[in-house]
Amino acid sequence: MTVWIVILVAGLGSYLFRLSMIVLADRITMPAYLERATGFVAPAAFAALAAAAVAAACLELGATRAAAPLAALAVAVVAVLRTGSPYAAIFAGMPVLWIATALLPA
Amino acid sequence: MFSLIADRRDIAAGARAMLPWLIGVVPFGLVIGLSAAQASIPTLAGWLTGPLIYAGSAQVAVIQMLDAGAAPMVVILAALVINLRLILYSATMARHWRGTPWWWRMVAGYLLIDPSFAVGLDGYDRPANRSRAHAHYFGGAVVLWAAWLVAIGTGAMLGAGLPGWLQLEFVIPLFLVGEVVSKLADPALRRAVLVAAAVAVLSLAAPLHLGIVLAIVAGIAAGLTAQRRPRQLPAEPRQSAGPYPAAERQLTVEVTR
Repeated sequence: MTVWIVILVAGLGSYLFRLSMIVLADRITMPAYLERATGFVAPAAFAALAAAAVAAACLELGATRAAAPLAALAVAVVAVLRTGSPYAAIFAGMPVLWIATALLPA
Repeated sequence: MFSLIADRRDIAAGARAMLPWLIGVVPFGLVIGLSAAQASIPTLAGWLTGPLIYAGSAQVAVIQMLDAGAAPMVVILAALVINLRLILYSATMARHWRGTPWWWRMVAGYLLIDPSFAVGLDGYDRPANRSRAHAHYFGGAVVLWAAWLVAIGTGAMLGAGLPGWLQLEFVIPLFLVGEVVSKLADPALRRAVLVAAAVAVLSLAAPLHLGIVLAIVAGIAAGLTAQRRPRQLPAEPRQSAGPYPAAERQLTVEVTR
């Protein structure tokens, strides 16, 4: 139940953000630093979510098995740096994850 | 207001202008659908983030955090922090939508997100009459909306049938890593990314998963306080607009993410 309410409230809040200035303000100039800040939101959010997800997975797996996601992460970073394509992270990282998981002792 | 028939050319032109954006948007939607199917929440709920939240980054945050068991208020807070930029887009569009009927503002506002904002602004930048620009925005925005919901739905259906050993729960973190690493060349972004990641790991034990929100805010602050680059931010809002990952990447190609 909570899940549905969270999604509904987050959606409603986002809709109110969209409508806010359209409805309230006829002409508003946003401070420049706010506009600058919007460029950092997605990278910061993505980095935070990715780091937290990988760290949580490592903690759950324990010292030895954590090597699998860490190896996948390392290969993903290298693949993106070499190809310049963000999706290279998935295509290079997932196979490494599968192989490392299979090879590591349970 | 525009007419669906008389202004069909402008609607079609807007739809066409959206097509290049879909190259980045559709895979992102597929990944979100896939992660929704893998997460410990009902797949339908994950898909509903599409029509309800309608903002990729916030949807990822909501699905990931609900899956991790974060407190409801914290999940909502994270989504709203990520979506604060919509207020900026709203302010920009308010200029062009002044005096339009309320139903148009309700519908057009609902469809407002990074790619529709960019494609729409293109129309308003042209000296054509305003109703034709509305038609241009509408054409692009509706195509984006439909493609987004279909992509998430397709990803969710594919994801539901795949075996557990694939560990598809790692697709989203890897996707996010890809998005982030491809931006490391920009010093200010690099700072934002590294600070956000470090704070997220250090505050992993923070109650209610508040660490994520803390990390996002810290990352934004770190980016803002970074030394301004010599060739500073483009004056045009659409160029600094962006946190729709895939869409932004396209801006990077054309201008910058």
